[in-house]
Amino acid sequence: MAGLRLSKTTIALLLLIVCHVGPSMAVLFSQLPKTLIVTATTKSGDVLHAGEDKFTVTWALNTSLPAGADANYKTVKVLLCYAPVSQHDRKWRKSNNDLKKDKTCQFTVVKQDYSATGKHEYTVARDIPTASYFVRAYALDASDTKVAFGQTTDANKTSNIFDIVGITGRTTGIFVSAIVFSAFSGVALAFFYVVENKKKK
Amino acid sequence: MAKKSLEVEAEVEVEDEGDAAQFKMPVDSDHKATEFWLFSFAKPHMRAFHLSWFSFFCCFVSSFAAPPLLPVIRDNLSLTTTDIGNAGIASVSGAVFARLAMGTACDLVGPRLASASLILITTPAVYCSSLIDSATGFLLVRFFTGFSLATFVSTQFWMSSMFSPPKVGLANGVAGGWGNMGGGATQLIMPLVYELIKKIGSTNFIAWRIAFFIPGVMQTCSAIAVLMFGQDMPDGNYNKLHKAGEKHKDNFSEVFKHAVTNYRGWILALTYGYCFGVELTIDNIIAQYFYDRFGVNISKAGTIAASFGLENIVSRPGGGLFSDYLSKFFGMRGRLWGLWVVQTLGGIFCVILGRTNSLAGSIVVLLLFSLFCQAACGLTFGVVPFVSRRSLGLISGMGGGGGNVGAVLTQLIFFHNSKYSTEDGIFYMGIMILVCTLPIALIHFPQWGGMLCGPKPGYTPEDYYQSEWSHHEQQKGYHTASLRFAENSVREGGRSARGSGHSKHTVPVETSPTDV
Repeated sequence: MAGLRLSKTTIALLLLIVCHVGPSMAVLFSQLPKTLIVTATTKSGDVLHAGEDKFTVTWALNTSLPAGADANYKTVKVLLCYAPVSQHDRKWRKSNNDLKKDKTCQFTVVKQDYSATGKHEYTVARDIPTASYFVRAYALDASDTKVAFGQTTDANKTSNIFDIVGITGRTTGIFVSAIVFSAFSGVALAFFYVVENKKKK
Repeated sequence: MAKKSLEVEAEVEVEDEGDAAQFKMPVDSDHKATEFWLFSFAKPHMRAFHLSWFSFFCCFVSSFAAPPLLPVIRDNLSLTTTDIGNAGIASVSGAVFARLAMGTACDLVGPRLASASLILITTPAVYCSSLIDSATGFLLVRFFTGFSLATFVSTQFWMSSMFSPPKVGLANGVAGGWGNMGGGATQLIMPLVYELIKKIGSTNFIAWRIAFFIPGVMQTCSAIAVLMFGQDMPDGNYNKLHKAGEKHKDNFSEVFKHAVTNYRGWILALTYGYCFGVELTIDNIIAQYFYDRFGVNISKAGTIAASFGLENIVSRPGGGLFSDYLSKFFGMRGRLWGLWVVQTLGGIFCVILGRTNSLAGSIVVLLLFSLFCQAACGLTFGVVPFVSRRSLGLISGMGGGGGNVGAVLTQLIFFHNSKYSTEDGIFYMGIMILVCTLPIALIHFPQWGGMLCGPKPGYTPEDYYQSEWSHHEQQKGYHTASLRFAENSVREGGRSARGSGHSKHTVPVETSPTDV
C-alpha cells in the first residue's frame, strides 16, 4: 500500500514537471498564425478620450480556413497595443518576437471565452496613456498560451492607427493645494526673515 | 583620563570655565563638542546635528522622488528615454553652483538661515511637480528640486562649527550619510505612498501627483524646525554674534580669494566627484540596470536600488569614524592615506561590477562597492574641515559642488546615450574612479604633511590658519576664531606631534606628561 502511494506522488511530481516544461518554451510572434479577423469602430486618425469615449471591437475566425482550425482555442484576449510612433525611444514599450518579453500590448480590452465570432464595446480606461494605438486579439489555449492572433492594422503596423488622449491627472484639488502649499513656504520664509531683522535691531 | 583633561584645560584657560559649564556636553576652547552623543538632543550641538541631517534627508527624498515612480510618470507625460536621461542630469546639475553659493552663504549669514532659506525656496518646485504635463515641465521641476541638494554644504559646515576636530569626521560622516540615505529611502517611500493613494481610490495618473506632496510637506516642516530650533554656533546665531562683536562679519571677496587659491580645495572637489558623484549616478541608473540586465521586476529592482542608498546609514559615518580613528594615530597623513585606499577600493569594486554576469554576484559586488564608495565620502569630509578655516563654507561648497559635477560628467559620458551598454559604462566609470583618486597624493599640509611627504619642520597649525588673514586684519583681531581652531587641531599632527609642544597655546590631553 505504501509503495503504491509513493509511486502516485512520483507520478504527480513528474506530471508537474512535464506540465511546467511545456508552457515555458518561448512562444514567438512570428510563428503565430493570423487566423482571426479583427475590426474596430475606430478609424485611422480618430482621437478618443480616456474615461469618456467608447469603441466596439469585433473578431471572427477567418472563414477560408479549414474546419477545426480553432479546435484548441479556449479564450480570446483583446488588447490595446502601441503603434511604432509611440514606441520610439521608449525601451519599456519595445516589441519583441519572444512574446514573454514583448511589451507592445500592455492594456487588456476584454478577455472572454472563445467563440467563432464575438464583439465587445469598450470604454477607454482612465489609466490609458496618451499615445497612438491599434487593437490586437490573441487566441489562447487551455493552458493560457497564445496560439493565434489577429489585429486591426497591417504587418507593418501603419494602417488604422488611432490616438487616445489620456487624462492629465491634474485635478482642481491638486492645483489649488500646490499653489497654497507653495505660497505657505514663501510666507513662512518671509515671516522668519522679518523676525530675524527685528532681532538685529 | 578624560576628567584630567577637563581639569587641565580649566586650569589653564580660566575665562572659559564659566562658559563651558552652560553646555550639557563637554566642549573645547571653541565651545565645540568633544563628544558625539547620537541619541541625544542636547542643545545646541546634538540638536543642530539632528536638525541638519533630517532636513538634508528630506531634500534627498524630494530630489530622487521621481525615479521610483517613473513607470507611471513616463506614461502620463509621454516621456522618451532621452527626456528621462536629460531630467536625470538636470536633477544633479542644479546643485553644482547652488553648493558653491551655499558655501559662501554659510560663511556670511550662517548655516541656519542659509539652509532653511534654500529649502523653503525649493519646496514650491516639489509641490509643482504635481502640476507638470510635459517633458519640459519634468526637466524643470527636477532641476529646481535638485538645488536643495546644496543643503549638504550647510550640513557639513554646521557640523564643523559644532564639533571639535577629533569628532568632526564622525559628525560630518553621520550627518552626510543619514542625509544621503534619503536617496535610498525615497525608492521605498514613494512607491508605498503611491500604492496607498491608489488603494484609497485614485487613478494612477492622479495618485503619483498626490504622492509628491509627502516629500514637499516633509521639506517644509524640516526647514521651519531648523529656523525655530537651530543655532549657528555653540555661542549663538550669527546675527547675535556679529552684533556683540564676538564674530567678525567677513567680506565676500576675501572669503572667495582664500577658497579658490587653495589648491587642496580643488583636488578634493575632483576626488569627491568620484565617490559622491558616482553615488548619485548609481542612484539614477541602478534600478533600471537590474531590471533590464537580469530581468527582475520593478519592485525587486527598486529594493536593490534602495539598499544601495540605505547602506549610507553606516557606510558614510563609518568612513568619518575611520578618518577620526586614523587621525588619532597618524594625524592628517592617516586621514589622507585612508581616503586614497578606501576610494581606490571603491573603484576596484566598480570595475568588477561592470564585469559580473550573475544576479547574485552583482548584488554582492554592489553592496561592497557601495560600502567603499560611501565611506570615501565620509573620509573626504574628514579632511575638508582642515583645508581652510576662514573660507570653510566655500571650500565645503567646492567639494560638494565637485561631487555633483562628477555625477553630471559620468552620466553624460557613460549613461546618456546608447554608446556604451550599462555594464560597460559601469566598468569604465570604475577605471575613471581609479585615475581621478590619484591626485589625493598631491595634497600636502605644511604643518602636518601629506601622503608622500612629511610636514615642514617648525610650521605650526597657527601659521597655516593665520596666513589666511592679512597683517591688518590680524591686528584687528578678526582671526581669533581661526587661532582657536588651530589649537584644537593640534592632534592632526599625529602621535609625533605630542610631547613636542607644537602649539603655543593650551595643548589637549595627549601631550600631558605620562607621569601620574
